Amino acid sequence: MSKPNYVYVTYIRTTPEKLWAALTDPQTIRKYWFGITVESDFKAGSPWALKFEDGRTADTGEILEAEPPRRLVIRWRNEFKPELKAEGWSRCTMQIEMTDYYPDRGGKAVKLTIHHEIEGEGGGKFIEAVSGGWPKVLSNLKSLLETGDIAFQEYPQ
Amino acid sequence: MNKPKFVYVIYVASTPEKVFEALTSEKLTAQYCFGYALQSDWKVGSRFTSTKDGGAPVDHGVVLEIDPPRRLVYSWAPQYEAFKDERPSRVTFNLVPFKGQVQLTIVHDDFDERSKAFESISGGWPRVLSSLKSFLETGKGLDPSWTEGDLKKIHELECAKV
Repeated sequence: MSKPNYVYVTYIRTTPEKLWAALTDPQTIRKYWFGITVESDFKAGSPWALKFEDGRTADTGEILEAEPPRRLVIRWRNEFKPELKAEGWSRCTMQIEMTDYYPDRGGKAVKLTIHHEIEGEGGGKFIEAVSGGWPKVLSNLKSLLETGDIAFQEYPQ
Repeated sequence: MNKPKFVYVIYVASTPEKVFEALTSEKLTAQYCFGYALQSDWKVGSRFTSTKDGGAPVDHGVVLEIDPPRRLVYSWAPQYEAFKDERPSRVTFNLVPFKGQVQLTIVHDDFDERSKAFESISGGWPRVLSSLKSFLETGKGLDPSWTEGDLKKIHELECAKV
């Protein structure tokens, strides 16, 4: 059986450059990620962290690969829930492609693929948590890039 | 081996009524679903068909459950020649009001193991549902006529807003 992992694909009316900026700019991330900010220079080997508005650390890790505006790989561990932190490191790969929106008709859209998996054994709780989180974050991101507005102002419980 | 099951969740800044209408209206599906339009009277047991670009209707499936604007279940006959011999699968939509938005969950299951149709729909639904969200939030689905140049122009127009 394969390891617990999560894949989400969304198509956005934007450009790869603008999507890359939205995935790496702290001010933009704060808008669609429910007040969360990021700390990183997004260079391979650099540290990476997500922080709550009150300054607490949500997640930490390291940039494993950064190839703007196409590919970003983050080594990622939860820091604020002990049962998730105990599951150890995960790896999140973000792939950005300018693609034919529909194979038989052409038309362009930007495809964002998120693949999140645990590096070691187990990891079911962490993957379950991100499975609930990514659709909210990425729906918000798509709305922000297409309409200038977001769907959720606060973290939806 | 587990049987193939596709699950996708998307949040749409709209109402359950509008999302439900967009899933079932011939006129609306035509505007975001790559030129496909769905036709049915949407009663349990009724067949539904799809047409593409005004072509002849193609048999698509049977309505299994309908509870507007909360739930829709239909069977799904394979649409492409490559897996015409596969038996119908099942599509379930659940719509839940969520913080002033709509949480739309689609589950597409009841496939045989190693189904080729499953591979096809796993690539198709994210496109259709991304387009549905764009359509309801911006008035336009993802448009098959867009070029990279169009996207850059839209990007410039949107820049001021974001």
